[in-house]
Amino acid sequence: MEHAFLDKYSGIDSPIHRLDPRAKVLGTVFLVVICVTTPPTLWKAFAAFFALEITFIVLARLPWRHVLKRWMIVLPFIAAVALVVPFLSKGGGSYNLGPLHLHGRGLLTLWNVAAKSSVSVLAVVLLSSTTPFPDLLKALRKLRAPSLLINLLSFAYRYIFVLVDEAQRMLRARDSRGWNGRWLWQSRVIGNMIASLFLRSYERGERVYAAMMARGYDGEVRLIYELAFGVEEIAFLCLTVLVPLAARILANV
Amino acid sequence: MHIPDGFLNTGVSVATGIVAAGAVGYGLRKAREELDEKSVPLMAMVTSFIFAAQMLNFPVAGGTSGHFLGGALAALLLGPWLGCLVMALVLLVQCLGFADGGLTALGANILNMGIIGTVLVYYIFRFLQRALPSGRGSYLISAAAAAWLSVVMASGACAVELGISGTTPMGVALPAMLAIHAIIGIGEAIITVAVLSLVMAVRPDLVRTYRPQGAENLA
Repeated sequence: MEHAFLDKYSGIDSPIHRLDPRAKVLGTVFLVVICVTTPPTLWKAFAAFFALEITFIVLARLPWRHVLKRWMIVLPFIAAVALVVPFLSKGGGSYNLGPLHLHGRGLLTLWNVAAKSSVSVLAVVLLSSTTPFPDLLKALRKLRAPSLLINLLSFAYRYIFVLVDEAQRMLRARDSRGWNGRWLWQSRVIGNMIASLFLRSYERGERVYAAMMARGYDGEVRLIYELAFGVEEIAFLCLTVLVPLAARILANV
Repeated sequence: MHIPDGFLNTGVSVATGIVAAGAVGYGLRKAREELDEKSVPLMAMVTSFIFAAQMLNFPVAGGTSGHFLGGALAALLLGPWLGCLVMALVLLVQCLGFADGGLTALGANILNMGIIGTVLVYYIFRFLQRALPSGRGSYLISAAAAAWLSVVMASGACAVELGISGTTPMGVALPAMLAIHAIIGIGEAIITVAVLSLVMAVRPDLVRTYRPQGAENLA
């Protein structure tokens, strides 16, 4: 059963993994916000963002295969822009590529989305691959996210593995019976699978709820916070805040 | 349809972020009122269910496939605001855990799939249901229309946001997105109806928007 899809690499021991999750959350948000608000022509700033992230990925000893696989999630969006925008968004000079005419402004838009989405995806991959999800939720709670929201997410985190497992079991059962749906009207089979998935999960939820009530659950989740903000955290935050800021200001000069 | 970071400009990010935060806040309040805090495990289970169901691809034509979105189903099973909350939670897990959908685009993604594709679609569903004679058949027909609309409108909103941000030309992206999702939406409708009719047969009490015997439908 392959279901270690979340938190697969967050158990590694590295300087980045050991950081207080609050520092990583703040640093990630800051880097992403700085990046998406940087004008696309500041090439050097983007080079600095990538360099910073690559340093952290190396420090965190994350497998490149994993990072690249997660990065590929933005590819369809970049591809959709690449197929249309350079040809239609006129202005800024034009380039000939065989029989095709590419326009400068469109190419700049393409670079803009490709660079910004890649930097941001890498930032979030770094955060999620170096921080166990429960720690991430603790950090968000400490940063004043509503407690009901965090409780819901922390329960959902427990169930997701169970239900994805259930869904994969159903897929295997279906495929081993020789199903090869190729057309839209065969979607009904998936509908029936999703319906049984819903019934199984809801009834499981009811059982879990009853069991928790029987053990004295009163709607309050008590957590032990072992978070500590020390020198390493401050150093990390300085890097993720000051390097992008400096890069952006210096790139303008 | 999960917009990544960098595809929206600051104005669109901030505006959609404010709308989404308001809706999630309202959804949380509704959840406290309607469910009391103890039913957290149940809501979380539905969240994980939508997450897992989105991993099941359905065939579209000759090998291509789309995946289930679940906004309309969540709204019909739970009511509009709890449905919205569940969709927002799914998007949050996808964004934080898988980098699927950007941090600065989270507001837009919640607006598209959790508000337009769930809350708005729910009210269209209610309107349709009032227009049609009451009964199981017309409930399912309205549900099918709602499911189709949720996918089409969410994709349309996505194209509009990208257009306003100057990323893709609206004149090309909007018709293209609508045309593709008009087909994917049929799959969503088939699946939503299949799920609802099976759940209505086995556990009718779990479909919060369906009351048989012509009773007034409750949100």
